[in-house]
Amino acid sequence: MKWRIGVCLITVLCLGLFCGFPTRDNQAQAQAKAAAEKITVLSPMGKPPALQIKPLAPRLDTLDGKTVYLVNDGYLSTDILLDEMQTWFKANMPNVNTVYRLKAGQGFTAEDPKLWAEIKEKADAVVMGMGH
Amino acid sequence: MAAVVGHCINIESELGVPTVPLIISQFHDPVQQNHVIQKGMPALRVTYLISPVWGKTREQIRKDIVGKSPISGKMVMQDIVENLTRPLTAEEKKSGSREQSAGPERFTDTPDNLQKFFMDNRMTDYMPIILPTEEKVHEMLKGTSHRADEMVGKMAAHTQMVGIEVFPHWSYTVKTVAINAVMAGMKPDYFPVLLAVASTGKEALSVSDNSFTEMLVINGPVRKEIGLNVGLGAMGPFSQANSTIGRAWSLLSLNAGNCGRVGTTYMGTVGNPMNWNNIIIGENEEDSPWLPFHVRNGFKPNDNVVSLFEGWGIISAKNSKYSAWTKEMDFPGIIKNIFYDQDLLFGATAVLSPIVAKFVKEAGYDTVERFTEFIMTPAEAQKPYFRSPRDIQIIVTGGSNNNYYSYGGMRYNRSVLIDKWR
Repeated sequence: MKWRIGVCLITVLCLGLFCGFPTRDNQAQAQAKAAAEKITVLSPMGKPPALQIKPLAPRLDTLDGKTVYLVNDGYLSTDILLDEMQTWFKANMPNVNTVYRLKAGQGFTAEDPKLWAEIKEKADAVVMGMGH
Repeated sequence: MAAVVGHCINIESELGVPTVPLIISQFHDPVQQNHVIQKGMPALRVTYLISPVWGKTREQIRKDIVGKSPISGKMVMQDIVENLTRPLTAEEKKSGSREQSAGPERFTDTPDNLQKFFMDNRMTDYMPIILPTEEKVHEMLKGTSHRADEMVGKMAAHTQMVGIEVFPHWSYTVKTVAINAVMAGMKPDYFPVLLAVASTGKEALSVSDNSFTEMLVINGPVRKEIGLNVGLGAMGPFSQANSTIGRAWSLLSLNAGNCGRVGTTYMGTVGNPMNWNNIIIGENEEDSPWLPFHVRNGFKPNDNVVSLFEGWGIISAKNSKYSAWTKEMDFPGIIKNIFYDQDLLFGATAVLSPIVAKFVKEAGYDTVERFTEFIMTPAEAQKPYFRSPRDIQIIVTGGSNNNYYSYGGMRYNRSVLIDKWR
């Protein structure tokens, strides 16, 4: 009787082991399948606005006799840069009238309506610095 | 450089005056690939300078302007003259409207490939994300009663600036915010907090070369409802809410606001490690000896409010400012000193542990307003340092195990109600 119980136990154990191996295999296969399976995800991007393309302003035939505004946006050393450019114009293109202006307002992006009005009225061209 | 480009484009298009923006050559790529396009004048004529200009002597600058521009190869001054006088090409005369796209609405691949795709296309902070499947986004949307297609706001990489619009505003819906919330690992319960922040249009990733960061202070019963840690380690990564709300804000800014694109919409010179998660603070209202921050700013105690701050960041006051240990700490005096150590651009915010706040109260400052008045009052024969009490902010959070606190150049921006977004 005892040996029969023993045989039964061993049989059950063996069956368990044989059934267990495929189960582990199945899990691994399922994981591999999930990793290989394609899924669809959503884009996190916002919506950019439409661009309004603008043409450049008409160019000048010559700078002779024209007024070029040298506008300082406020970044460090731009005053020296534009001063040297003004000196260059005087020495090399004396017929060009240059005017130096420091843009007002707090920060580089700040508007300066007074200066824009002056440019519209008096400037033929603008050189602005400095993108740093 | 974006500001100079923007001003010149406005002068060309609105005043009809030809311009030449001067930009250092280092910024050629972002200007040509982004700024002139985004501002609507892809053909803008730019003269690129030998970089840098700042820091050079007058003699060096004089030499550089008659030297060759690193981009055109022409003498800089000659380049400027030609840019003002050379006749326009057909391309330069073009006008019209052009639609832009941020790419497809869906991506299909294996999870590993999608993780890599999101990273390679810079839609993440280079940390792994929760992949935003339709099911997960649907779950997130249960955190609000608002429709998925409702427009929440618009964002651009420059909202701290005044004047011209440097970068165009991108718009985003409730669903877009939810997608970014999923990616960051947020729970639907936190979603109204992020929506409230998103509704302001304030970006978490600043374009400035200063390497700024942002901060959120959350008040009201919502703190407990969503499990914000307001005790020990309150500003650290010790609860899911603290760890994911700020990350979601950064991801939203990156993806929905087109911010944080290094070289174009992100120019922080040394960067800021707080940009991953920003600074997220649930105020410890229960242990604070003073009225909560939101109540001091006009809200009711039971209002759920998120307040936005911006600036350089927060550091430990004990380690950065005071190396000497003393037995009797003059907390009001010490805190006043740290405030005076700050640059005035952003004023300063002190984040006090409840125990330090109680010390201050016991020293005679029973309200934050009275303490602020003490800080504002200059020493004898000195001029006032701060422009307004708004330049000084006090937040109470953290545990009560010891006398530590933090501070930093952080400016209070605005507060918004969270419940509107439930």
